[in-house]
Amino acid sequence: MNSSRGRFIVVTGAAAVAATVPRIAEARKKPVTDADVSKLYDAAKKEGKVVWWTAHFAQEAAEKVRDAFKAKYPGIEVEFIRQTAQVIYQRLSQDLKSGVHELDVFASTDEAHYLELKKQNALAEFTPADVDKIPAQFRNLDPDGYYQLGSLAFIIVNYNPAKIKPAARWTDLSDARFKGQITTGHPAFSGYVGNWVVAMNDKYGWDYFKNLAANNPKINRSINDTVTDILGGERTIGAGPDNLSLFKKAAGNSIDIAYPQDGSVLIVAPIAVLKDAPHPNAGRLFENFMYSKEYSEAIVKQGHFPMRSGISSMNGMTLDKIKWMRVKAERLASGVPEVVAKWRETFGV
Amino acid sequence: MRRVDAGSIVFLFAAVALLLMVVLPLGWLFATSLQQHDTGRFTLANYREAFTAKIYLSPIVNSLILALSVATIAVAAGTPLAFLMTRTDLPGRAILRVAIVAAFVTPSFLGAQAWMLLAAPNAGWLNKIWVALTGAAHGPLNIYSLAGAVFVMSLYNIPYTFTFVSVALGSMPSEMEDAAAILGAHSLRRTLSITLPLALPAIVAGFIMSFLEALAEFGAPAFLLIPARAQVITTQLYLFFQYPSRVELAAAYAMPLLGVTAVLLLAQRRLLGRKRYTMIGSKGTRRNLIALGKGRWPIFALALVPPLLSVGLPYLALLGTSLSRSWGRGPVPGNLSFYWYHWAIFDNPEAKNAILHSFSYSFVAATISLAIAVTVAFAVSRKLVPGGGLFAFVCMAPFVVPGIILAIGFFSAYSHPPLLLYGTAWILIVAFATRFLPIAFSNLMTALQTLSVDLENAAQTLGAGRIRTLFSVTLPLLRTGMLSAWLLAFIPALRELSCAIFLFTPSTAVMSTVIFDFSDAGNFEAVATLGIVIMAMTLVLVGAMYRFLGRSVLEAQAT
Repeated sequence: MNSSRGRFIVVTGAAAVAATVPRIAEARKKPVTDADVSKLYDAAKKEGKVVWWTAHFAQEAAEKVRDAFKAKYPGIEVEFIRQTAQVIYQRLSQDLKSGVHELDVFASTDEAHYLELKKQNALAEFTPADVDKIPAQFRNLDPDGYYQLGSLAFIIVNYNPAKIKPAARWTDLSDARFKGQITTGHPAFSGYVGNWVVAMNDKYGWDYFKNLAANNPKINRSINDTVTDILGGERTIGAGPDNLSLFKKAAGNSIDIAYPQDGSVLIVAPIAVLKDAPHPNAGRLFENFMYSKEYSEAIVKQGHFPMRSGISSMNGMTLDKIKWMRVKAERLASGVPEVVAKWRETFGV
Repeated sequence: MRRVDAGSIVFLFAAVALLLMVVLPLGWLFATSLQQHDTGRFTLANYREAFTAKIYLSPIVNSLILALSVATIAVAAGTPLAFLMTRTDLPGRAILRVAIVAAFVTPSFLGAQAWMLLAAPNAGWLNKIWVALTGAAHGPLNIYSLAGAVFVMSLYNIPYTFTFVSVALGSMPSEMEDAAAILGAHSLRRTLSITLPLALPAIVAGFIMSFLEALAEFGAPAFLLIPARAQVITTQLYLFFQYPSRVELAAAYAMPLLGVTAVLLLAQRRLLGRKRYTMIGSKGTRRNLIALGKGRWPIFALALVPPLLSVGLPYLALLGTSLSRSWGRGPVPGNLSFYWYHWAIFDNPEAKNAILHSFSYSFVAATISLAIAVTVAFAVSRKLVPGGGLFAFVCMAPFVVPGIILAIGFFSAYSHPPLLLYGTAWILIVAFATRFLPIAFSNLMTALQTLSVDLENAAQTLGAGRIRTLFSVTLPLLRTGMLSAWLLAFIPALRELSCAIFLFTPSTAVMSTVIFDFSDAGNFEAVATLGIVIMAMTLVLVGAMYRFLGRSVLEAQAT
């Protein structure tokens, strides 16, 4: 409670005028209070539902998040679609261009999307109540409070332990022993894959992918396709997500993950409420929920890295035990289009 | 006089609808192709970029390879099948016919999904069986290839050639064949030197139809060719709509496809000529069926191969997957459940809404198509307005526009003021109505031409106006024709993908777009389940049509 003075001001402000959304937004990077949240809930119940487009989760995990939210806040429906980051971003861009407002909460895995949306003045400022419960380095991802962290994840090597020994380093994926064995997503669809390709390009140069191409990887759209390929026996090793791989491993499937020695790629996946959201209160309540204990507990069961400190991850790993690299939003903004063009040239798709 | 005015108003309404549905989108498509990305100023740069960059040229080459191969294979399989079914005493013809209709109504994206389950290089069931039987390191099949896409799309194109050639063979005058027989030509010689040459126009028409279908198809290539790393024109058009979207470039890139389609379809119409109308009655001359003798059963087994590959195995794979809690473990006890059906119909609002949307949008769209078709067909066939031929032409125009291009036209015209339909259900409904208007219209024209005008004249002599005559005389007589026209628009709308994928937003998603969304990230169970739901709905409707309207209706559509 190091900012009790600021909170006090917000509360008086909110109490003086009805707790309308703009009033709460004036909190200026100060988190909302519990009183604000209960007002949000009341208003959200009147709105009846929240619309959420997410690239953070696989279908089943997103269903579990929906269920956890509905358990905590009965009376509000969650309508969500799960798609790759670039697809939901394209749909949102098109909506904004055409003046269509159907979305409340946008959850992409490419941080650069939020820089652009913020520039277009499309996002609402909102800071969840428990923002200080997550690791300090990820608080207030946007200093102006237009978007916040919504999920953390790692791109790692996922593989079938019954069939293959994993690559120790990312560069090992061009070893001849992995010929015809590799599966990946596509940077023009998946935000995770965009992060990974920019990271590899910046670390090793584009030759990394020319070498990888010689091993004839199977290219899908979503990064989650790597898990499908490994489970189905189509391929044995991938540049994949930690979360879904761990979840499927826990369910008894022959899949495991290895953290590459040259660094896993950390995905800092933001969340934001749209300025012209059709359900502005429900949208904020939903974003606020992502900082709750219930959310972190629900997603850990799906193999996802917890948001809140003090809740342990499915495999007990912590941020300081993993060697990781992160591509900053500004670099993603220039890097993803750049690598997508090169990718098409190298892989022909 | 007032009654006449009412009739004119109805007709005016149909004329405005046609303007909005056909003329405006195509006009916008063309205008967009000549616009600069941000400024909207006139430019030819889109055409220059679309047809000089190497990355955009290779999809065109791939599309041509794909379309030529598909058409060749479909004709090579469809022609003998048609011959066997109409001219020989092949056993099991009824079963084969049902299977061919089932293939005809199966969207090829579902076929593609099914074949991914069957013939993915390592995970496909057929390859796994092969490896288990032979001990080989790999199975022989790879569906993720241009050849794989050719294979799947050929299967679902066989019904075109089959129908065209069956109809031609059935309606062919038998005199020449009889003469050849009298002169002593045996049945093979007769077939090769008389029957096939006579059926040649139908064969060529089938080839053109499949060529165009394969060129314009989006679903199967999108499922199979991204992992195959081979783009075709339609998947490239889709990529132009991905972020950062290049609608102008897409419009320019689509133009040659539109041109090729228009020219070839007109050629095909000429080939089929007016025969299509006389064929529906298909009085057919009585002729003796060629006895296959000892070869009957082996030939039957051979004839069974295409239906087995297009319907039997794929539906088995989809059904097995939809009934598996987790497809990777296969349809074995303990894994079998109705979980995904419960999920699709009750648990998942996205799937549930999509089923409702598909049904309601298609319902409204088919009704709009029918209303316009009735109005225009009546006005044109009874020569009530000047320039009727022009209206008939506009009604038929969408026929030469591939769905994917119609969608880009709709998007260009209606994603901005003054007519902002994007984001609403109406853009999908109107697009579906436009896309299937030619089917409804041509069927109604046919039906109207068979109606005698005497009763209408009698009604008018007794003082009924145009509208009254239409409603109390013509429409009741046209009931069957209208029902079949409505169903023929409704059934394809139910599973339309290539328009919908460009025009839906998540709150207006339909079954085909949800299936496409679920097809990434390996949600095969969801895809298979929704596919089975669509096909169950479709097959019930098709069955009802057969029951009430007779089989000739579907054959009329194929021509």
